[in-house]
Amino acid sequence: MSTSTTVPESLSAAPTVTGSSWTRRIIQNFYVRRIAKAVFTIWVVSTIIFFLIRLLPGNPVEQYIARLIETQGMDYENARMQAAALFAIDLDAPMWKQYIDYLGNLMRGNLGVSITSPGTTVTSIIARFLPWTLFSVGTGLILSFTLGILLGLMMAYRREGLLDHTLTIFASVVSSVPNYLIGILLVVWLGVQWKVLPIAQMRGTMSPGVTPAFTFAFLYDALFHAFLPITTYVLTTVGTWMLSMKGSTVGTLGEDFVTVARARGLKDWRITTAYVGRNAALPLFTQLTIAIGFVVGGSFLIETIFQYQGIGYVLSAAIAQRDYPVMQGVFLVITVSVILANLMADFLYGWLDPRIKVG
Amino acid sequence: MNMIRDILNWLGTTLKLMTYNKAGFIGFLATCTILVICLIGPFFIPLDTRTKLDKIYQPPSTEHWFGTDHQGRDIFSQIVHGGKDVIYVAAVAAFLSTFIAVTFGTLSAFAGGAVDGFIMGLTDIILTIPQFPLLAVLAAFIKLDNLTFLGLFLGLLSWPALLRAVRSQALSLKERDFVEAARALDLGAGHIIFRELVPNMMTYIVISFTLALTAAVYTQVGLVLLGLVPVSSSNWGVMISLAWTQGAIFFRDAMWRIMMPILAIALFQLSVITMTRSLELAFNPRLRTMV
Amino acid sequence: MAKNKLDWHTGEQNNGRAPLSLENVHVSYATRRGKVRAIRGVTLDLHAGESLALIGESGSGKSTLGLAIVRLLPETAETSPGVITYRRDGREVDVLRLKPNEMREFRWSECAMVFQAALNAFNPVLKVWAQALDTAKAHGWHDKDAIRRRLVELLEFVQLDPKRVIDSYPHELSGGMRQRVLLALSLLLNPQILILDEPTTALDIITQRTIIKLLRELKEEQHFTMIFISHDLAIAAELADRVATMYAGRVVELGASDDIFYRPRHPYTLGLIRAVPTVTGGFEQLFSIPGSPPDLVELPSGCKFHPRCAFATDRCKQEEPELEEVGPGHTAACWHWREVEAELQRNPLHRGALNVLDVIEIDEEVVS
Repeated sequence: MSTSTTVPESLSAAPTVTGSSWTRRIIQNFYVRRIAKAVFTIWVVSTIIFFLIRLLPGNPVEQYIARLIETQGMDYENARMQAAALFAIDLDAPMWKQYIDYLGNLMRGNLGVSITSPGTTVTSIIARFLPWTLFSVGTGLILSFTLGILLGLMMAYRREGLLDHTLTIFASVVSSVPNYLIGILLVVWLGVQWKVLPIAQMRGTMSPGVTPAFTFAFLYDALFHAFLPITTYVLTTVGTWMLSMKGSTVGTLGEDFVTVARARGLKDWRITTAYVGRNAALPLFTQLTIAIGFVVGGSFLIETIFQYQGIGYVLSAAIAQRDYPVMQGVFLVITVSVILANLMADFLYGWLDPRIKVG
Repeated sequence: MNMIRDILNWLGTTLKLMTYNKAGFIGFLATCTILVICLIGPFFIPLDTRTKLDKIYQPPSTEHWFGTDHQGRDIFSQIVHGGKDVIYVAAVAAFLSTFIAVTFGTLSAFAGGAVDGFIMGLTDIILTIPQFPLLAVLAAFIKLDNLTFLGLFLGLLSWPALLRAVRSQALSLKERDFVEAARALDLGAGHIIFRELVPNMMTYIVISFTLALTAAVYTQVGLVLLGLVPVSSSNWGVMISLAWTQGAIFFRDAMWRIMMPILAIALFQLSVITMTRSLELAFNPRLRTMV
Repeated sequence: MAKNKLDWHTGEQNNGRAPLSLENVHVSYATRRGKVRAIRGVTLDLHAGESLALIGESGSGKSTLGLAIVRLLPETAETSPGVITYRRDGREVDVLRLKPNEMREFRWSECAMVFQAALNAFNPVLKVWAQALDTAKAHGWHDKDAIRRRLVELLEFVQLDPKRVIDSYPHELSGGMRQRVLLALSLLLNPQILILDEPTTALDIITQRTIIKLLRELKEEQHFTMIFISHDLAIAAELADRVATMYAGRVVELGASDDIFYRPRHPYTLGLIRAVPTVTGGFEQLFSIPGSPPDLVELPSGCKFHPRCAFATDRCKQEEPELEEVGPGHTAACWHWREVEAELQRNPLHRGALNVLDVIEIDEEVVS
């Protein structure tokens, strides 16, 4: 890439890819590699889940069979058949075949049937509840990331000022208190002590009588119900973004290209956004990986606290009732969502930082 | 005698270094206070278990510093007694995850090649699996009625982020002159790791440990709230969980009962995280030689 | 050559008056230890079409002075008292009193500065073209075709292939290429003055030569008005019409390039010249100025150079000398400049000392 110090430079930019065959180019392509990694991760996670469900002593299939025999007086054969149907597993087949079938079922979207609401497929449960979680968690993450970047930038520019000190204290407090406790505090103070929010009406994802449609009324209602979860996600993650962005901005402000940009007479606004802001925000994209997993994982408690019927609420109900097929399906979907969200964050990062695609 | 003097000297220097960051030092003092209250307090303050129907939901007073709960019991004594289990479980988890992170992070950095590739690949995958749901799902299969076992369980899966940090730190140390010099002198792996690396990584290890501690408090209390950890003892998490499941959070007078354990947990987390700022100074070998 | 099409300043718009005049310029920083006095009363005229070199060790204030002219010093710096007058087309402004937006307009379009660390001079996430466009737009030039034509011409002038460079990201270019792109960019708005802060530092010797050739072209054929900041005397000797030696925030000697390099009158200038290693000279001629640059917070009394000076007397410890005429157009701030003159007659300067570049020219033939 860089020219050596003894040979005069050629007048053209050095090519970035050595070897010109197209297969090699595809393998080295940034996007292709990221997608391959995501697919691989999804495969590993589904495999882990399969072995947890099927192979661990005291695994859910055996537990379920034992429960059927115990509570409904079923004989072993019948109980085993029913379990096989529920988990969409052929228990008589050899293990490797079960595994192949399981992967095949996954690809076809067949995740089995719920134990507690017989006849309802896990896929349909996910289809019903997942959009609400994507909506609330996605909105919360985007809001807090954007807000954190803007506030962090301001803090760096007004370093050691009142705003900086206040926000630093706020950020350290809010990012060290567990998010579900912040959720409970919101209910206790905003809903019960000060009564500024009608928390009873805010439960659930929609008000009675409202149907999903592309209308303003529906959007308003959805936001009304998602207000508390979104506020919690924003409050508990914005501090980390703020502090990271502040640190990163302070570093970027010291870079030569910022001084040169000022020497070039660029307008302050342009320097702040395209030169300082954009470069300072780049390292934060790598932190999105951890944040997405954390927020999605935490959403499961937040939704339970606010009785917001998203996928996390379903998971906590399924765990409480030991509804294994639902647990398995929902957990898989949560993991896949996190992997896909990370993939998107990676792509966004690659798009924003031209240096990444080369390496 | 000499050894005692050395230890006292070391402690003095450490404390002096820690005061360089005021917020961090306040965090350190607060952490110590909380630890003392939780570990020694129970010997002096008896747990109030007697139901007093005439004293239900009283606000704080000189008699009951933190008020009383739904059975008229003193909340302060419950807070004092409710910390040690939470801290014990978190400490076990933090020890295990720091141990895994430091051992394999350093190994990964120094072995390089396929070992590094395998460890990092595995770490990346585990990092993408949302930890909390995974623990919750596993907790549905496994009986978590033993505190030590609960701690190990929490620690077993919470190392990936720490491992990545330790590895990058070890990678940068690997390139430093003193390690290069030790390698050039062929001083052996043991010497390099324990004489050169560990002292220089001490800051990192200690901070990793404190962060793992707060992470373990987070998951632990979260699992308690979901009812996945059998309620056997009366700890801060259980206090919140009971107040919540009994609907006390919607009852205005019950505020103290719900607020006090939340405050205890929040204060503990905040103190420990703030303390890391001072720890960074105290375990920095370069600063130590300057004093 | 493409350069014939370029429209350059010829430096004759000011009726013979200097385009840039510094009068008693001071710069200081407030620090915990006390006031750092980086520049202490510099008075200089930059004449139209001349190239002036600022030489001195690091900490002498030469870079600070360059940054002060375009007002890019850190916020903790205080630039007063002092007046920096800029003249163009018969108009005069005091640079230090320009309002923020006027200052912004002034930078690059009137006075462009090429920086030392060109490796990081560009925003890593924007292509060269986008950064050129940013620069033009900031100065009210929105005609994309015209901007592109001008950039292409300038890139050709700095001997780069415009087609490859224009749509490259900075990381796709080598250090030398980036430095040349920055040089091209500095000419984009046709500024009257160019300030070059160590334009060749951190580059390999061949790339250095390319840059010096370009700069010599700017000087000799376009008569560009330039200020060079360099610790490399060979480059200053090669490119400068006049040279100012700086020490402890002051100009201690100022004169035509030949006067300074062959007839220095300040012991510090003499020391700097004698410290240049010569390719042909032996080790016995290697010399270095004893001691280290002064602490800018607690400056020595009298002449700031006296603790390191072989000519120092009691007077030097008490009184700081002002610049005085030591020859036609040649001034020096030293009580003992006549003794320096006498010393030079006893031990004349080795004439080949500063001809390092000739040696490089020979080298180049060997390399290519």
